[in-house]
Amino acid sequence: MRVLSWMKAGVRNLFHREQAETELDAEVRAWVDTVAEERIAAGMTPAEARRTALAEFGGTEQVKQRVRDTRAGTGVQTVWQDVRFALRMLRKSPGFTTVVVLTLALGIGANTAIFSLVNAVLLQSIPVRHPEELVVLRWSAHKWPESPGMASFGDCKMRGGVAEASACSLPYATFQEMADRRDEFADATAFAGPAELDVAGNGQATIAHGELVSGSYFETLGVPAAVGRTLAAADDHPGAAAVAVLDYGYWQSAFGGSPAVVGRTIRLNNVVFTIAGVADREFTRLTPGKPADLYMTLTQEKALGLRWGGDQDAGWWLTVVGRLGPGVKRTQAEAAVNPMFRNAVLHGAKPAWKAGDDPRLMLIPAQKGLMGFRGFLSEPLRLLMLAVGMVLLIACANVAGLMLARSTSREREMAVRLALGASRRRVIQQVLTESMLLSLAGAALGSLVAYGGASVLAAFTSANWYQPLEIDVRPDAHVLLFTIGVALVTGIGFGLAPALRGARTRAAAEFSRGTTGGVPLTTHAGRRRWPGLGSALVVAQVALSIVMLTGAGLLLRTLGKLRSVDAGFDTRNILLLWIDPTLAGYDKARVLDLYDNLQRRLAALPGVVSASYSSGALLDGDMWTQDVKVEGQTSKQTEELQMLRVGPRYFETMRMPVMRGRSLGAADVRGGPLTAVVNQAFVRKFLEGRDPIGLHFGSDDKKAPQWAIVGVARDAKYDSLTDEDAPTAYVPLAEGGAAFALRTAVAPSALIPAVRKTMRDLDENVPVMRVQTQSETIDRLLFNQRLLARLLGVFAGLGLGLACIGLYGLLSYEVTRRTREIGVRSALGAQRRNVLGLFLRRGLLMVVLGSALGLASAAMVTRLLASMLYGVRALDPVTFVVVPVFLAVIGLVACFLPASRAMRVDPAVALRYE
Amino acid sequence: MGQNQTNLLQGTLDLLILKAIGDGEMHGLGISRRIEQITRGTFQVKPGSLFPALHRMEEAGWLASFWGESENNRRAKYYRRTKAGARQVGIETKQWTTIAEAMASALEA
Repeated sequence: MRVLSWMKAGVRNLFHREQAETELDAEVRAWVDTVAEERIAAGMTPAEARRTALAEFGGTEQVKQRVRDTRAGTGVQTVWQDVRFALRMLRKSPGFTTVVVLTLALGIGANTAIFSLVNAVLLQSIPVRHPEELVVLRWSAHKWPESPGMASFGDCKMRGGVAEASACSLPYATFQEMADRRDEFADATAFAGPAELDVAGNGQATIAHGELVSGSYFETLGVPAAVGRTLAAADDHPGAAAVAVLDYGYWQSAFGGSPAVVGRTIRLNNVVFTIAGVADREFTRLTPGKPADLYMTLTQEKALGLRWGGDQDAGWWLTVVGRLGPGVKRTQAEAAVNPMFRNAVLHGAKPAWKAGDDPRLMLIPAQKGLMGFRGFLSEPLRLLMLAVGMVLLIACANVAGLMLARSTSREREMAVRLALGASRRRVIQQVLTESMLLSLAGAALGSLVAYGGASVLAAFTSANWYQPLEIDVRPDAHVLLFTIGVALVTGIGFGLAPALRGARTRAAAEFSRGTTGGVPLTTHAGRRRWPGLGSALVVAQVALSIVMLTGAGLLLRTLGKLRSVDAGFDTRNILLLWIDPTLAGYDKARVLDLYDNLQRRLAALPGVVSASYSSGALLDGDMWTQDVKVEGQTSKQTEELQMLRVGPRYFETMRMPVMRGRSLGAADVRGGPLTAVVNQAFVRKFLEGRDPIGLHFGSDDKKAPQWAIVGVARDAKYDSLTDEDAPTAYVPLAEGGAAFALRTAVAPSALIPAVRKTMRDLDENVPVMRVQTQSETIDRLLFNQRLLARLLGVFAGLGLGLACIGLYGLLSYEVTRRTREIGVRSALGAQRRNVLGLFLRRGLLMVVLGSALGLASAAMVTRLLASMLYGVRALDPVTFVVVPVFLAVIGLVACFLPASRAMRVDPAVALRYE
Repeated sequence: MGQNQTNLLQGTLDLLILKAIGDGEMHGLGISRRIEQITRGTFQVKPGSLFPALHRMEEAGWLASFWGESENNRRAKYYRRTKAGARQVGIETKQWTTIAEAMASALEA
């Protein structure tokens, strides 16, 4: 009942406000009139009676306002009123509004952009049915298992510490046991990949990424087919027909989205597969950053020429994901499956561990356990979130400064409101409404900035990944909530100080200043407060800018150092081309013929100086190591050796000087005794500088191949630019895929079409896996530093710009406010440069204070960057000196403009100003 | 004595108003004077407190109002208790008695 009557009253108050007001007025008047009449009757003069009656009443307007404040629906009504008023005020000062909205759009936009990326990479849930029910199986023990081979495809993080080892890779047997446990799992699936597959029978041969999955994959994940059917358990039986399911995106791009693909055959690595169907459109990936184009069953592994499972399928190569049964708790299932797992790995035919190794199986929520590229991107993203947080703080401080300056000029307005009975709460509410409107407008505009920015960032990330990525940065509920949240916090952040200040206005003091609107010569106590706060805001902006500039500076110096690292070979003007003819069915002899042929044709292209090939490219994030013993080595153990298979003319093409002996030629590749060229680090580390020519090295097993050293090449970087030169051996390439390298006399990327055509002319069934310049592969290694350096640079520039505007604005305001004072000073004989110095000193003081504060904070914050730095320390003296000097110079310019205006103040004009 | 109005608990003011009106019909000034009378001058409720309270209670459905003629032929807004208001007297009296008894026994202890 109470609620109903209250709502009725609310409706009346909102929609029949006039009537309610008239009635309130009449009610108040009746009281006063009645009291006055009684007093007149008692003998008072009418004027006296009225005066005392009114005085006792206690201010009719205030009482009315208190009634209004308690009325039902007041909240809605006043908010609406405040919004309308705020809009009017903002329209009245379009310049102010524009600057504030733009500033906030940049601040909020930067945050939303980075958050969109964080959301896409770290937060978005797996696009399958009830992803929260999925768990990924992860083992953990005190050491690595005695397994016949462990393969991981980057779905999970592997940990191989001294006391603890952990990974997701499991043997097929474990998957089968899990799939049979109906008490815990409703369903389970195992998968591995993706593999690079040669796709033929659909136009020119191409490379696609194929994931090997158990027959239960789509059923477990709850992914339906868009066209045709998905895989079923029957497809996964030995001897079942070879079928493939297409990813929706791949179906669109490679098959034009034609429904007629179902039943068509294609050749994958020269094996005929029938297309069974296309997976649902929503299903873009299971593990973030690992999209697949095709799905085949695990049983096709051998047919596709993959050897992941090892002999007798005993290898640990599968990632297993289960769907918990209805009502089954994760911990409960974990406890239930562990005895079985321990029994299998401790007492099986080939025990993987001893009991003391304490092997355990953990069930990790799939959302958390399937890392993919989250592991690589979470650190830079976290740093970027921190950086945009600082940008937002600067924007807030900047806008707060503007609002304060404006609130000073609106003090009379506040005084009038307070005098007319507005409560201080109402005044605060009014000012906050204005800030909220500004902030929401900024957020709306910022969202547009953010979407554009996030798309660019996603494209940049994708272009620097090993395969194209679909990073979905379209705003979803997370992003929307985040933006609104940021906007609200921002609105309060910059609006609170001016709001409180407005509410603190002392009406009497304000009116006593007279009606001319002039500013008194002597600044009384109340007036001094805001320049203090305004300066603090500017100091804060300068300090935050310094922190970001320092971060950007350190990363730029790191990049500079990384780019000037001597790689040991000439990294400029190299074009790389990856092919693998074995996927198209080439045998060993034909592979070598093809390479020979291709090498000759590529070298003959105009603009190519020389061409060669190797099993992999240097500085491409790929490496092959082997444990070897070297003839005449001092220590007894085997040593880890980096190895690379190379073709003829490799050293010449890479411009990697051979210091002693000879390089490898065609004869070395075509059989005969095994030869090798080693690097200087090899000689230093294993042979302590003795002459290596003629010595042999190879696996500890004497029956395994032993290579004879025929030359020594200069040290070159292999795995990464930052690693120390490690012992490396270059041996002749006699089989497998290759990365061709072209030394060019022209810009290498200009040769890409010609190179592709050469390969196509030679054999169009051999697809080109990748074409890239050596600089591009190096850039990819430096992705984190480049991403952060660029963005921090942009954000730092933004922050610096805002800080300078803040500084400029504050000083300009000071000059205007103190025009009379300057006039008096000049009239009393102050020199112009004294006046100039007055303001310059004030501005520089803020810059110096801000810089000191900023450098102190930077010293703490740059530690977070330490893992990304190379060649510079987190407290790099150069950066820590250059940044504040740079800022001081820019700050000086920002101060000089208003200060020089102060200098030009004409005392005669200034004093006539009132 | 006027100081006391600041010490009036909100619930107390509501109860006093409901009590003052009783089963009759009264305008604001009348209610104010009646409260002063029945509390033997302890509470003087000023318009600044009385008016917001009256409006709030009316919106809560405890009071109903109508416009009528006052003793000296003035249009005045009259308030009377609704059924809900009468129930409220019972509820609040009980609460208040509990507090008063508790305080009394506490002070005697």
